[in-house]
Amino acid sequence: MALAALILGGVSWVVSGSGSSDEQVKELTIYSGRSEEFIAPFFADWEQESGIKLNIRYGDSAELAAQILEEGKNSPADLFLSQDAGSLGAVSAAGLFTTLPAGVGAQIEDIYIAGNRTWIGVTGRARVFAYRPSAVSVLPQSVSDLTKPVYKGRVGIAPSNASFQAFVTALINEKGAQFAENWLKAMKDNGAQIYLKNSAIVEAIDKGEIDLGLVNHYYTWEVSQALGRDIDVENGFFAPGDIGNLVNVSGIGIMATSEKQEVAQDLINYLTSEVAQAKFVEDTHEYSLIPGAKAPASLPELKSIGSPKVDLASLEKVQATQDLLTKVGLL
Amino acid sequence: MKRENRLGSYGLRALVAGVLITISQPLIYLFIRASDKSAQEILALLTRQKTLDVLALTLLLLVIVVLVNVFLGTAIAAGLHYVKMPYPRILLVSTILPLAIPSYVFTYTWMAIFPALEGVWAAAFILSLSTMPYMILAVTISFQRIDSGLIEVARSLGLSKPAVFTRVILPQVRRSISAGALLSGLYVLSDFGAVSLLNVETLTVSIQNLFKSSYDRGAASVIGILLFFAAAIFVLFESILKGRDFESRGAEGFQERIRRISNPGLSVFTILVISLYGFLAVVVPFYVLISRYLQNPGVVALSDLFTAALSTVSVAGLGAFIAFILSLPLALLVTQGPSTFAAISGKVILISHALPGVVVGLALVSFGSRLGPLYQSTFLLAFAYAVLFLAKSVASTSAALTLVSPQLKEVAATLGKSKSSIAMQVVFPIALPNLALGILLVFLTAMKELPATLMLRPTGMDTLATEIWSFAAISRFNEAAPYALLLVIIAAIPTFILTIPRAAKSDIEKKVSYL
Repeated sequence: MALAALILGGVSWVVSGSGSSDEQVKELTIYSGRSEEFIAPFFADWEQESGIKLNIRYGDSAELAAQILEEGKNSPADLFLSQDAGSLGAVSAAGLFTTLPAGVGAQIEDIYIAGNRTWIGVTGRARVFAYRPSAVSVLPQSVSDLTKPVYKGRVGIAPSNASFQAFVTALINEKGAQFAENWLKAMKDNGAQIYLKNSAIVEAIDKGEIDLGLVNHYYTWEVSQALGRDIDVENGFFAPGDIGNLVNVSGIGIMATSEKQEVAQDLINYLTSEVAQAKFVEDTHEYSLIPGAKAPASLPELKSIGSPKVDLASLEKVQATQDLLTKVGLL
Repeated sequence: MKRENRLGSYGLRALVAGVLITISQPLIYLFIRASDKSAQEILALLTRQKTLDVLALTLLLLVIVVLVNVFLGTAIAAGLHYVKMPYPRILLVSTILPLAIPSYVFTYTWMAIFPALEGVWAAAFILSLSTMPYMILAVTISFQRIDSGLIEVARSLGLSKPAVFTRVILPQVRRSISAGALLSGLYVLSDFGAVSLLNVETLTVSIQNLFKSSYDRGAASVIGILLFFAAAIFVLFESILKGRDFESRGAEGFQERIRRISNPGLSVFTILVISLYGFLAVVVPFYVLISRYLQNPGVVALSDLFTAALSTVSVAGLGAFIAFILSLPLALLVTQGPSTFAAISGKVILISHALPGVVVGLALVSFGSRLGPLYQSTFLLAFAYAVLFLAKSVASTSAALTLVSPQLKEVAATLGKSKSSIAMQVVFPIALPNLALGILLVFLTAMKELPATLMLRPTGMDTLATEIWSFAAISRFNEAAPYALLLVIIAAIPTFILTIPRAAKSDIEKKVSYL
């Protein structure tokens, strides 16, 4: 390995500058698992406010987490912003996040902050059933309802998608592996249609291929934006407390190796401020995690959804979930 | 004189060894990571039913795609070369362009038309579409270099046209068919985009799942090593099938103007087959992308488009150049005659080609993150491309150099030319088209590379591939479309240049006659 590093090092005549550690912080590096399209305006606002330049590395949340694990203490990142709690959990478990002081992200509700304060939730993403109002007269009250004959062949799911796997993980943790297995089998036997992504499910509902689908709440908005027109799809919630109403978060943590902790904390404080949180609700149709905040247009408030109490950090381990999905034949 | 040669040969071998160590970094990385696991864990992982199923499925897919390539790809190349048709160059370029379309774009666009597309046959279909250009290019270029004198002799001895093709022409392009089969097979092994979207769990998908979903780098690496050995078996199997070198190679420089078969029925059939391929592999993806764009034309920032194109071309170009430089020592060694060392080196490079981008990316993240400013620099990304795609360069280069007739080299040697000047004056001019092909292949593939690019690009740099990914990730195919279009247009230019019939051939003839 030293030899390999030596060979790579031998060609170090191409040097790209930067890396000076001034007292005055001028730049901050963030790895972002959130799409540039949606998050870039927030970064731009903070840059303007703070006068600090952000070096932003966009990627897939899980791949960025894998990259950070590989970089270890050599990581050039100061912060990691992730789409989901699972990737944050993996970085946290490797001890690469610092513990955030109590004042950081102080407005965010406690249940959306990691127990060990290594990361803080930024936005809320509710699991819902998307449906075509003209086609569904009896709305399901629980995920268990979806296995009934009335929904035979009408429901879409995306078993290979991280958000569905997080939901199944919560289902296993909450009700046990046997229950989850039975439910998945029953869904399959009830002719659940398999899609690759949440957005594909919403499009299929709009086209009339299926009538309902398990997705994250903001996909109806996102698909309508991508298609540039209104779509015939709405979000529905199960009865309060049902595991189908799981609320997952996108979140952020600061690398333990960062020498710019204070500035990094300032960025977190910005993203969790009332101004930015209101902007998320408005611009990306996600939930604000500040207690009592306004909900995205035409959606119920976070509190009234009655999302089940789930330790989000526990959603990190999806291997068992994938094994189960494979066993049932959905992966 | 002899001693000098031997010294030169040792120097070359040392260089080749250096290249091998350099490109073996992903493999070294896999072994280091896999050593986190105990022998028992490794054994359990390798022998569990799932692993065996995945391995079987991977090999099945590999065999299907390679067979389709060998038969259909060779047939298309033969049609392009020997059958009379209008605008043969445009038809040729249209069969090469699919190289520039990332396999995930292929799959997304086909799934937009057939949402139910999934499974091993769908994957075989998509991967055959995207690998066929390797075969067509490799075989077409060898057709161009076949000694037409032999064909004349065979015809005058009363062999029928089909017999000439199977008994005279095919044996001479066997090596190229073989090289094309290798490249397409290794592509299948390393592909992630198509198979993951089509829900086919190959070894590469397993590796990615283990890295991404459970962050189990040890287990991912064990499967990575299994993939390496699967590739090794494929490469060895191929070299057994290929058999011994075919001795009577075309005498270079004596090819006359191509005599195309003018048979209206055959021409129409050939054009139909080629058009069908072009339709499936180019028109369909673009129809979907463009119609998505027209449904909801987003504002395309021309400056973003331009910057991304510039970054893509420069870093892929640098990568192709590094790959060319790294392939030279081995190429030179091969010109000095066959040796076990050269053969083994070539195979190691080929086998490494099966490792998926995510493994090479993470390996270079692991080593590269210790290098300070070099990490996430343009150079390291270009270097990653060279590591990923060196085999394309080497495969074309070896095919090029073995086409040069040994008699020609002997003649040059008896005229008192040293080995290096034979290489420079005789071998390289003749090998040039295939050398250029190697560079082009690396360039085209590097332009669309995604996983390693995402990990290793300088922070803030966008390439056309990362822009396509970033829009596709949020289902905005309309906004991804202009980037995909530009990628193919950029790819078309060097492809078109490479297929220009070589007027320079007569220069080479002159050079040879003056030696």
